[in-house]
Amino acid sequence: MNLFFRKSIVAATGLFLCIFLMVHVSANIILVFPEATARSLYNAYSTTLRESMLISIVAYLLYLSIIFHVVYAGIITYKNRNSKGVQNTINHNKENSSWASQNMGVLGMLILIFIIIHLVNFWARVKLGIGETVGTDMAGNIDVYEVTFTLFHNPYYVLFYSILMLPLGFHLHHGLKSAFKTLGFYHKKGLSVLAKISLIYALILSVGFGIIPIIVYFK
Amino acid sequence: MKVTFKIWRQEQSDAKGALKSYEIDGLSEDMSFLEALDFLNESLVLKNEKVIAFESDCREGICGSCGVFINGRAHGPHDNMATCQVHMRSFKDGDTIVVEPWRAGAFPIVKDLVVDRSAFDRIIEQGAYITAKTGTAAEANAILIPKEVADSSMDVAACIGCGACVATCKNASAALFVSAKINHLNKLPQGQPEGHKRLLEMTTQMELENFGSCTFTAACEMECPAEISISSIAEMNARYIKAKFFG
Repeated sequence: MNLFFRKSIVAATGLFLCIFLMVHVSANIILVFPEATARSLYNAYSTTLRESMLISIVAYLLYLSIIFHVVYAGIITYKNRNSKGVQNTINHNKENSSWASQNMGVLGMLILIFIIIHLVNFWARVKLGIGETVGTDMAGNIDVYEVTFTLFHNPYYVLFYSILMLPLGFHLHHGLKSAFKTLGFYHKKGLSVLAKISLIYALILSVGFGIIPIIVYFK
Repeated sequence: MKVTFKIWRQEQSDAKGALKSYEIDGLSEDMSFLEALDFLNESLVLKNEKVIAFESDCREGICGSCGVFINGRAHGPHDNMATCQVHMRSFKDGDTIVVEPWRAGAFPIVKDLVVDRSAFDRIIEQGAYITAKTGTAAEANAILIPKEVADSSMDVAACIGCGACVATCKNASAALFVSAKINHLNKLPQGQPEGHKRLLEMTTQMELENFGSCTFTAACEMECPAEISISSIAEMNARYIKAKFFG
């Protein structure tokens, strides 16, 4: 288990999670549609996902990716701190590197807290049946829209869901471009294009995820 | 010009160190930073105090022996510059200048600002050379090398092994240094026959020396006096993946 292996695991799982997030934010757009359309479409979509064999496999890959990403990032951070040893009394690292790149661990921890609460809010209720029973809509699909709608009418949850998308944005901005470099993408012009793509990707994801709860709140 | 130096003083590697203040007057803006330290040391000699230990040799940015953390930056306030190339005009009259040694587990402090960088030497010993006897200078065009290949090899061959990349890295990663030494040879036809061996042995030694892993903060490329790009690290990763999976 060497440096390259550990870092490649974090990069590869990270990239897989990036693809997942793109699909997730696209599906969330349904939530901003007028209620009649949104409810049936969103519930039908989530039923399709739950009943698909392929999606079940992808879901397990997703759980594994999150676990491996967190565990290996934790191991790397621990080992890196050990490698550094004593810190400098003064370190002006803001002058030579981005804040996000210096604080990926903290950002990751915030995202992990978000994921746990997010899973409790949705996954535990809909999939595991923990907590208040979720009803069905007119088409007989589990009414996930209602769960979302109720949650995002609680201003504290709206704030939590929107604000926690900031660390996600910072984490993705550094993570996406760094993952490609870890996995050996070194074309110089390609890297500057990649840096721009990472920024655009991070903006779309954080603004997209962050603004939808606010829109739902005012619906 | 008058400044206050706050300098890390440590008697030996296992002793406890601390920052000590020295107020010094009579400096000139035209002095190099190392000349200012020399000036301070002369005043310490006159006061019968122990001089501050720091390394330097060529004092023109090519040998890589100097290197201290000045005001929170490796090699001082400027990007891509060695400590010896920093002048006192980079500071203001009355400034406090904090000077610390390179900080990394693999670079233990020898005394004051001097650290032991022999971990780099041990990595070099693992294959940053070609084993063929080169004899006398060969005919220049005996092995044809495209200009862009020669240029990109030279770009990384510029590494002076100062250790700023490790010092500025929050993970104390030596990836920039090691990638420069590997890519310099592995890009060229002369280096390719031993390319995989070099890559695997040098990176293994890098890990044995307890250097951290690269998380691409890119701080190193900003501090590197030879302006080596972090794309060199990505290239080393590509070579590593290729060597591991495709032999």
